[in-house]
Amino acid sequence: MDRSPRGQYLTTVRANVPLCREHFRLTLLVEDFPVSEPGQFIQIACVGPDDNGPVDHVIEWSPGERPILEGAELSAAMTMLRRPFSLAGRRETIAGTELDIIGRDVGLGTRWMSQLAPGDVVNIIGPLGNAFELPPKDGIALMVGGGVGIPPMIYLAEKLAQFGRKGVAFCGATTLDLLSLTINDASMSLRSSDVATTPQLNVVEFAAHGIPAIITTDDGSYGAKGYVTGALEQYLDASLPDGTGRAGAVIYTCGPELMMKRVAQIALSRSIACQICVERAMACGMGTCQSCCIKVKKDDPQLPPLAGKDWCYRLACTDGPVFAAEKLLW
Amino acid sequence: MPDLSTTLAGLKLANPTLTCSGTCGYAKEYADFMDLSQLGAFVTKSITREERPGNEPTRIVETRAGMLNAIGLANVGLKRFLNEKMPVIRTMPCPVIANVAGYSYEDYVETCAAMNGLDGIVGVELNVSCPNVKDGLTFGTDPVRLKDLTRQVKNVLPDKPLIVKLSPNVEDIIATARAAIEGGADMLSLVNTFTAMAVDIWKRKPRLANVTGGLSGPAIKPIALHLVSRVYRGIARSTGTPIIGMGGVQFWQDAVEFILAGASAVSIGTALFVDPATPNKVCTGLEEYLAKIGVEQLSDLVGTLELPGDKPKAAL
Repeated sequence: MDRSPRGQYLTTVRANVPLCREHFRLTLLVEDFPVSEPGQFIQIACVGPDDNGPVDHVIEWSPGERPILEGAELSAAMTMLRRPFSLAGRRETIAGTELDIIGRDVGLGTRWMSQLAPGDVVNIIGPLGNAFELPPKDGIALMVGGGVGIPPMIYLAEKLAQFGRKGVAFCGATTLDLLSLTINDASMSLRSSDVATTPQLNVVEFAAHGIPAIITTDDGSYGAKGYVTGALEQYLDASLPDGTGRAGAVIYTCGPELMMKRVAQIALSRSIACQICVERAMACGMGTCQSCCIKVKKDDPQLPPLAGKDWCYRLACTDGPVFAAEKLLW
Repeated sequence: MPDLSTTLAGLKLANPTLTCSGTCGYAKEYADFMDLSQLGAFVTKSITREERPGNEPTRIVETRAGMLNAIGLANVGLKRFLNEKMPVIRTMPCPVIANVAGYSYEDYVETCAAMNGLDGIVGVELNVSCPNVKDGLTFGTDPVRLKDLTRQVKNVLPDKPLIVKLSPNVEDIIATARAAIEGGADMLSLVNTFTAMAVDIWKRKPRLANVTGGLSGPAIKPIALHLVSRVYRGIARSTGTPIIGMGGVQFWQDAVEFILAGASAVSIGTALFVDPATPNKVCTGLEEYLAKIGVEQLSDLVGTLELPGDKPKAAL
């Protein structure tokens, strides 16, 4: 299979911006990064570049004093594996390529990432995996992101604008202070019923590409109260009723599995194409460890792999992370 | 220039770094991320006679300084291996060793017999110690059965070196090492992963769908090193059986430890997931180490660890 070039790169932190509670946007500068596409991801090593193996420690200590331990292996909790992150944006600059990723501080690795400062060096592997396919020329992209599933939608929006495609973003968070997006100030005063039902150019990340968005929060602290899947259904029924351009519409989704399953149902029941960016526990990201498997339908029961009569496992890292909704058996 | 080359049971390798089966795919999965031509040898994912889908997810959990896996020998099976993977393997710029697993004597014998005359495969490593499959006989922990299996396999693999990969999940690893050697193993590789588990305290359930998995990574290195040292001194040194040491090798210093303890070569596994170029970096480190201590041949260092009671080594 032909792939774009991939590799291991040392990057420099350009910026690390807190977005909301627990969330940060990390911008990495890398020279000569290969072509990448929305949906693809990078693997981040959550250890400093100075972790070059054991060093001969001499511990200065005299009775009555505390010994001073140095070196990460002695003093720090370490991550073992890299952490996969969807690309959330990309810009070419004179100094090189800037890559955005959005992370949430939920453990050892992401805590380390959240504390990175401009100038710090970060080792990444990428770009990995397949990518979203754009909607047809006269079609529309309906992007449904939940929580940490929002980032690939931002990169997709960038590409939609670049190729002159229309789009609407649907972004869900449990509550406003966990929404990792920038709401422009003016819209904060909009009546919640306005932002809830009509896509607005009030989310900076999408508005920058001319794409309106609908925000939902589970608790109603901003936008429409409820799940993002509800907002999607409402929109489809109001703005894209049967026979009015549904054929050119493509739904893209990334986020919690329950949310994505519901999005898939909504799409399939209305015969709208749907591309799902899955998240799986993953070690390598390069197709070797075989841990990020997901069950998919086999097109031809005669074809190998013969795992099951009509199903087989595929790897999220190299066969995905983007799968057609009708293929997944999850 | 220091010489890293080594000869293992007639198998000439340019350097002592190998990949661990199951951490590097079948051939060129890492081609974009490492220099495969700088590998001593490449060891394929385990191949079974029949194709296997592997275990249900979740198959992997990170632990402190390591990880648990329960993949369940997901692989394409012998037929597809021969048809789809061998053409790629024949273009590999380094020697390739096939890892073979099975559930019965017949499984192993049939797969290994196919390897004997196979152009592009320089040797076979026998996986008798996968801790993550429940069906079939266990060979890795039963010395009688292991000796019998090794003999049957060696009978159909007369032309290529046979490596038996030992399980650490045994009471006395020297007993299984001896069984393999007496059965006709040309080399031993040790150790495979340690059976282990991790618990989700909120769900009060195991984190792995398979309940248990194999622990690998730096967390197991000290134990693996001890077992290599034990097998080397307990039997392999006297029988002249080369050992391929593995278990948590991440840096060149780790490789040196295994070599001093008695390994003639080292395999790198879990570290590949983090940095596929690890073997290349280990080689650079080994060259610098040899230059620093003024030793020409890396193979001169094998087993030179001085334990209390040993005849003192000449100063380096």
